[in-house]
Amino acid sequence: MALWWWRRCCCCFSRAPAFGSLRSLLEAAGPRLGCGPCAGRAAGRAEMHYFLGRSSVLSFPKIRSIFLRFHHTTTSRTCSCSKTVTDEKYKDPFKLGRKDLKNLYEDIKKEFLVSTAELREMCEYYFDGKGKAFRPMIVVLMARACNIHHNNSGEVQASQRSVAIIAEMIHTASLVHDDVIDDANSRRGKMTVNQIWGERKAVLAGDFILSAASVALARIGNTTIISVLSQVIEDLVRGEFLQLGSKENENERFTHYLEKTFKKTASLIANSCKAVSILGCPDPKVHEIAYQYGKNVGIAFQLIDDVLDFTSCADQLGKPAAADLKLGLATGPVLFACQQFPEMNAMIMRRFSLPGDVERARQYVLQSDGVQQTTYLAQRYCHEAMKEISKLRPSPERDALIQLTETVLTRDK
Amino acid sequence: MCPLLLLRLGGCCSRLLLLRPPPPGLWSGRGGGGGGVRWRRGLFSGSPSAASHWSKVVSEAEKIVGYPTSFMSLRCLLSDELSNIAMQVRKLVGTKHPLLNTARGLVYDSRNNLQMRGLVVLLISKAAGPGNTAELSFQHDMVSGIYSSQRSLAEITELIHTAFLVHRGIVNIGELKSCDGLLKDMQFGNKIAVLSGDFLLANACTSLAQLQNTKVVELISSAIGDLVQGIYYDNSNLSEQNCLTHDIGISTWKEQIFLSHSALLAKSCQAAMELAKHDAEIQDMAFQYGKNMSMSHKLHSDLQPFIKGKSSDSVAFSLNSAPVVLHQEFLGREAWIKQIREAQNKGNLMDFTKLQEAIKAGKGVTSAIDLCHYHGNRALEALECFPSSEARSALENMVYAVTRFS
Repeated sequence: MALWWWRRCCCCFSRAPAFGSLRSLLEAAGPRLGCGPCAGRAAGRAEMHYFLGRSSVLSFPKIRSIFLRFHHTTTSRTCSCSKTVTDEKYKDPFKLGRKDLKNLYEDIKKEFLVSTAELREMCEYYFDGKGKAFRPMIVVLMARACNIHHNNSGEVQASQRSVAIIAEMIHTASLVHDDVIDDANSRRGKMTVNQIWGERKAVLAGDFILSAASVALARIGNTTIISVLSQVIEDLVRGEFLQLGSKENENERFTHYLEKTFKKTASLIANSCKAVSILGCPDPKVHEIAYQYGKNVGIAFQLIDDVLDFTSCADQLGKPAAADLKLGLATGPVLFACQQFPEMNAMIMRRFSLPGDVERARQYVLQSDGVQQTTYLAQRYCHEAMKEISKLRPSPERDALIQLTETVLTRDK
Repeated sequence: MCPLLLLRLGGCCSRLLLLRPPPPGLWSGRGGGGGGVRWRRGLFSGSPSAASHWSKVVSEAEKIVGYPTSFMSLRCLLSDELSNIAMQVRKLVGTKHPLLNTARGLVYDSRNNLQMRGLVVLLISKAAGPGNTAELSFQHDMVSGIYSSQRSLAEITELIHTAFLVHRGIVNIGELKSCDGLLKDMQFGNKIAVLSGDFLLANACTSLAQLQNTKVVELISSAIGDLVQGIYYDNSNLSEQNCLTHDIGISTWKEQIFLSHSALLAKSCQAAMELAKHDAEIQDMAFQYGKNMSMSHKLHSDLQPFIKGKSSDSVAFSLNSAPVVLHQEFLGREAWIKQIREAQNKGNLMDFTKLQEAIKAGKGVTSAIDLCHYHGNRALEALECFPSSEARSALENMVYAVTRFS
């Protein structure tokens, strides 16, 4: 379903006239973003925002305020049908989800039935309780929001909690492999698995985490859930392949980038949200809401991640800054900056491989409004996520998910 | 042309060859069917070499399972990703990354490239026949006595096996000698190896999900875990190449080899029974066949360097192979250490020919042959629960082939 949309978008996109990438990007995003009756209006606004945004870098705060106003009207529209929401509205999403995530890492470690101490140590390495547990958090909140929506049930089912665990395991397995692929040395402020134990063992550890996740997935005993989460594994690999190649055409480059972002980051969140919604509620409409929420938040999350690669320092990130450029990757900020500084094209094409390319590209990005444009795009995805989740019956968890879209945008690490 | 593209063609060709009529008299010429003990006597008889015998048995068996099947699904072969991999692997030509050899092996190595695992899954599916299900739609799904879900499973088994062949060949960057060009090649090779292995695994996962059977998903997923642990042991034993290996003993050796060589086939055979809704007893027998047959297979290949008449051409053997482990067990740790020291030349280089002679003189080789026969017999016993059929005979012939030493 989602892929179908993507393909369609890609089709629209390749046919779109090449004037101003952001504009065609927004047009391409149009059908995806606008699935309600207000689609046309939203698209219109988007275009307006775009033109406002283009007039000068300084006008960015203005767009943001317009955006926020829009954001709040939507919230209040949905609020009108509820009574309790306003008090709970600014509840810290992380606080609310935490009770379900107690012992999360202990439970993950129980999945590793390994006889060799070293392999176990490698598998458990990233489950040290120091990660953000961003994915499990969204998943349990979504589980609760769907359960309440369906029959006012205040409990998280064991199977739903398993999905949260599996999501974190799949994510970690992919991190371990990514670090081998990228030859990375540090992550979350510590050495990577490959740095400590070598690439050969690291790859095996990643495979083992994945197999443990699959066993846990099978034990849920629901073939639909298995299919939904298997899709994630396929997307992760395909996303990694997309990252290998680069496109010459500017427009294609952006679609390529967004598709990669969906597959590498958003698919996991979208499909695990969908999985818990299936377990909690039989209504396919709710499954679609959960999926769309996860997808949009996921893309926004990654867009901000790509921004932070330029704006944060290594200490905050727990990994080296400008890491993407060093890997030869042109992310959102670079692609936007390239519109203002076409001389970046050559650098993108050679994947920043000449000496000085990385620093020069970084300077271009910081001089351009690439960072703001990317942030703005992330806001649009967050807005869409919020719109989706607001269709569910009000609950503290639903509101926490709304709040979480804001947290995604304002995080600094 | 790059190896993985060749793999596509190679796969087709080898299967086209199968359409030829079988060589006359192959079945009658097998090393003594029927009896479980009789073939033991023929051990050192002058019949065709073990490897070619095995190939014959396998190619005969392939005919039984119906239309030519390449285990790499069409969906997988036609994907952008695979052509991408093929393109990238080509860039590795001229480097020393092990991925190249793996890819080459997938194409040229006729002994190991027979996709034995997938074939066994298909044969045992056919041997077990239709399961206890009244669903008519299910029965219609059969081609040549094998359900389409079982064919998928055979393919999944091969995908997983191949994925790990690829992931086994990852290089530890930190251990490389500092030479800039080489380092870069190795990093690139690793990148492609991780990606292509992951690609095969991901395909296995999605196909597995499509089988719509949670028990099968659990079995195969746990087999992946077993395989990882087994390879992990293999690697840690290998890391001490050319020097003293751990004193593991044959029972530990068996546990480790089960993980690295048998678990996937055993669990796939069991899963094939589950897909046809066969009962727990049949499932267990299928598991036993898969387990014992692959143990025999492994022992058989471990024994090759120590079999009569072969010493001249194949000297290389692993210090972690069954005859060596057993030899060490008979000899005792200290005497073994002494033998190793004696075989070591100046500069710590091992004189393998000398060591080989010492091992041949001991009891390790015959004892490994006995172990090979023991597992062969267990595999044959497991087959007794299936009605006799062409497919069952083929499975038996595979056992005969891996328990023959000539």
